[in-house]
Amino acid sequence: MKRRDFIRTSVGASLASGALIGTGALNEAFGSPANLQNSYDLVAIKGGEPDTMFMMAIAELGCMGRFVKKGQTVVVKPNIGWDAPPERAANTNPKLVGKIVEQCVKAGAKSVTVFDNTCDEWTRCYRNSGIEKAVKDAGGLVVSGNDQSKYRKISLPKGKSLKTAEVHELIIQSDVFINVPVLKNHGGATMSLAMKNLMGVVWDRGFWHKNDLHQCIADFATYRKPDLNVIDGYNVMKRNGPRGVSVQDVVNMKYQILSADMVAADAAAVKVFGLEISDVAHIGLAEQLMVGTSKLDTLSIKRISI
Amino acid sequence: MQKHFKKIRLVLALVFFAAFLVSFADFRGNMPSRWHSAILYLQFVPSVIKFFTPLAVLSLGFIVVLLLTLLAGRVYCSTICPLGVLQDFFIHIRLKWMPKKGLRFKQAHRVLRYSVLVLALISLLFTGVLVFNLLDPYALFGRMAANLYQPALGWTNNIIAKLIPASTLHAVKINTLHLASVSFAGGSLALLIYLSMAYERLYCNSICPVGTFLGLLSKISLFKLKINPSSCTQCGKCQSVCKSNCINIKNMHIDESRCVNCFNCIPICSENSITYKKSAIGLAKKPVTSSDGGRRLFLATTTAFLAAKALPVFAVNENKSEEEHEDKICFFSRGPIAPPGAIGIDHLKSSCVACHLCIAVCPTKVLQPSFLEYGFTGMNLPKMDFAVNYCNYECRKCGEVCPTGAIVKLEKEQKKLTQVGKVVLRMNKCIVETEATACGSCSEHCPTQAVKMVPYYNGLPAPEIDPSICIGCGACEYACPVTDPHPAIFVAANTLHVLAEKPKQEALETVVEEEFPF
Repeated sequence: MKRRDFIRTSVGASLASGALIGTGALNEAFGSPANLQNSYDLVAIKGGEPDTMFMMAIAELGCMGRFVKKGQTVVVKPNIGWDAPPERAANTNPKLVGKIVEQCVKAGAKSVTVFDNTCDEWTRCYRNSGIEKAVKDAGGLVVSGNDQSKYRKISLPKGKSLKTAEVHELIIQSDVFINVPVLKNHGGATMSLAMKNLMGVVWDRGFWHKNDLHQCIADFATYRKPDLNVIDGYNVMKRNGPRGVSVQDVVNMKYQILSADMVAADAAAVKVFGLEISDVAHIGLAEQLMVGTSKLDTLSIKRISI
Repeated sequence: MQKHFKKIRLVLALVFFAAFLVSFADFRGNMPSRWHSAILYLQFVPSVIKFFTPLAVLSLGFIVVLLLTLLAGRVYCSTICPLGVLQDFFIHIRLKWMPKKGLRFKQAHRVLRYSVLVLALISLLFTGVLVFNLLDPYALFGRMAANLYQPALGWTNNIIAKLIPASTLHAVKINTLHLASVSFAGGSLALLIYLSMAYERLYCNSICPVGTFLGLLSKISLFKLKINPSSCTQCGKCQSVCKSNCINIKNMHIDESRCVNCFNCIPICSENSITYKKSAIGLAKKPVTSSDGGRRLFLATTTAFLAAKALPVFAVNENKSEEEHEDKICFFSRGPIAPPGAIGIDHLKSSCVACHLCIAVCPTKVLQPSFLEYGFTGMNLPKMDFAVNYCNYECRKCGEVCPTGAIVKLEKEQKKLTQVGKVVLRMNKCIVETEATACGSCSEHCPTQAVKMVPYYNGLPAPEIDPSICIGCGACEYACPVTDPHPAIFVAANTLHVLAEKPKQEALETVVEEEFPF
C-alpha cells in the first residue's frame, strides 16, 4: 500500500469511527431520558389493554429509542406456534406485537422483521393468530421461519447439554432482538416464558426434547440475550398448554412484564402465574449459567397498576 | 361463424387447462375450496362417483356433461378434459416437428374400446373404482400434476429463491417424492406422450371409458359435423388435421362416436363442405360401417349392472364393529390411516380414483400417496403419514376439494371429533422413562389433550393417554423425539372412522391477585 493511500484510508476510517461515536452520543443525549442510570431492571404492569400497558411500561424504561436506534435492523420474536385465534392465548397477543413493531418503526428502525419457527403449519399460524396482519399494519415485515436454508449453525461454549444449534439468520444478523413470549402453562417445560420462547428461533427442537429439555433451554439462553423481553400476560393459558384445548383454559389476567434480563422476567412471570420460581427448572439452570438473576428483591422494579 | 369454432374451442380449452394448473399449483391449500370445486365440477367420473356418495346428490356436473354431449357431441373431450387438452398439446408439437407426416383416417378399435368400458363397469362390482383409478383421464392427469408438475414448480421456486435472495420468494417444503406414485405418474405421462405423438387421440377413442361412453351418446347428439357430398372434392385436407382419425374421406363420412369436436376440419376446408349442423332429432342415418355389437354389449351390461345396484359405495357396512383398541397393536401393524372425512377405508377405496388433489393441496403435507398399504385395489390412495407431519386440527381442506366424495366435507366441529385412529403409548420407550428428563413434546402438540402430562416421579411430568378423546391426528407421533426405531407414541388406524368423545372441560377459577406477587 502506498503511503499516501495508507494515510487517506486511516484518516477516513478514524473520521468514520468518530462520526459513529458522535451519532451514538447524540442518540444518548436526545433519544433517551437523561436519567438512564435510574432506569429500572424490570417493569411489571397490570390492568390495561396490551398496547396501552406496553406504552406505559416502555416509557419507564426510557422509550423504544433506548433500544432501537435510527437505521438499525430489528427482529421481533413473538410466539406464533399454533394455528389458534388470539382469544385462545396460545400465541402472543397480536395487539401487543403490532404496538411493538409500530414503536420500532417510529424509533427509526431500518427494518422490523417478525418470524417464528412454528409447530403448526406456519402460514395458518401467522394468519389465524392475527399477528401477520398486526405486523403488516404497523409497518413491519413477516418472514417464514420454516425455511431451513435460513438457519446457521452456532456454537454454545457455555452450554452443558446443548453445544451447538442452528439459529435463524435474523437472530444472528439483526442489530436489535426483541423477544415477545406469551405467558402460559406448558406440559413439558412447566411454563412457557421468555427463555422457552427462544426454541422458536432454532431449527431442530427434537434434540432439546431428547437431551434434557430444561438444560437445553438454559444452555441456549447463553447465546444471544434479547435486548428486550416483553412477556405478554394479558390472556394467560392456565392449563393444557402450550397449545390449549379451548378458551376455557384461559384467564384474562391483564399483565405485562418488561426486562432486558430473561431470567428476571421469567421469575416474575412465574410468580404472576401462581407458581414458585423453583417449580420451573430452567430458570435456576440459566441463573447458574450467569444468564441473569431470579432474585427479584435485588432488582429495581417498577410496578404499575392501571 | 363456424370458421371460428376452432378458435373458440382452443380458448375454452386453454382456460380450463390453466384453471387445472392453478388448482394443482396450490400446494398450501390457500385457494378457496369453492374455486377448486368449480374447476372440477364438470369432471365426469368424479362427478358420477360423488353423486352416489352420501349427501352429495347435488353433484350434477355429469348430467351437464351428458346433456352437453347429447346437444353438441364430445366437446367435453376437446375442451373440459385436462388429459384431452394435454394430448392436443403433444399432437401439436408432433405436427410442428414433423409437418409432412399429416394425420389420416384409421379404423376404430371397436372391440378394445367397448371391452374396456364393459370391463370398467363390471369391475366396479369386484374391485371398486380401481379401473377408473387406472384409466379415468382426470385421475391420470391429477396424478401427473400432483406428482410431477407440483414438485417441479416447487424446485423452480426454490432455485429462484436461492439465486435471488432479495426476491419475495422463499424456499418451500416440497412434497416427498414416492417412488411408486412418481413412477406411476411418470410412466403414464411417458405412455401418453408416445401414444399421442404416434397415434393421436388413440387413448380417448380406444381406452378412455369416458370417451367411449360419450362416444356412444354423441351418435345421437343433436349437432354433428357433416360433410356435404355435393361440394366435397375429397381433397383430404380435413382428414390431415383430424386428431381423432375419424374422417373417412373415401365415403365422406365422419365417425361421430370418435369425433371430439375440435373443429379443426371446418376452417381448413376450402369448399366449406364441412358444417356443424342439427341432425334430425338424434336419429342419425346409421353409417354403413357402424356395428351395433359394442353398443348392445354396453347397454346389456349397464342394465344388468344397475339392476344389481351394486355401486360399492353402498357396500360400506355401517354396523362394522369398531376395531378393538388393544395394547398389543404394534407400530408396524397399525394399518394405514385414512384422512378425516374418508368415513373409513372401505368408503375411501370404493370412491377414490386417486387424483391426488387432496395430496397436492394439503397444507401440512400429512397426506401422502400410498403404495400397497390399502391393498392392491387401494393403490395410490391418500393416507396420512405422521413421519412427514400431522393433520391440522382446524383444517378440512382435503374434504372440501375432493371431487369424488371419497373424502366428504366435514363440518368444523365434526372434523374436530372425527377419530381416524387412536393413540398408543409405549411408556418404556418414552424419554421421561428412559432419560429421566422432561419432554412433553407429544402432549404439547395434542389438540384435545388426549395425551396429557401428569406428575410421574421427582416432579417430572409424563404423558398419560385417553384414547376416548383422541382423534388420531398424529401430532403426538410426529412430535415424539424418540426414534428407537419408531416413536414412543403413535396412532393405530380405525378401519371405520368414529366420533371421539368431546374433551371434558371444567371451568377455571379466575381469581387474579390484587397485589403484585413480587
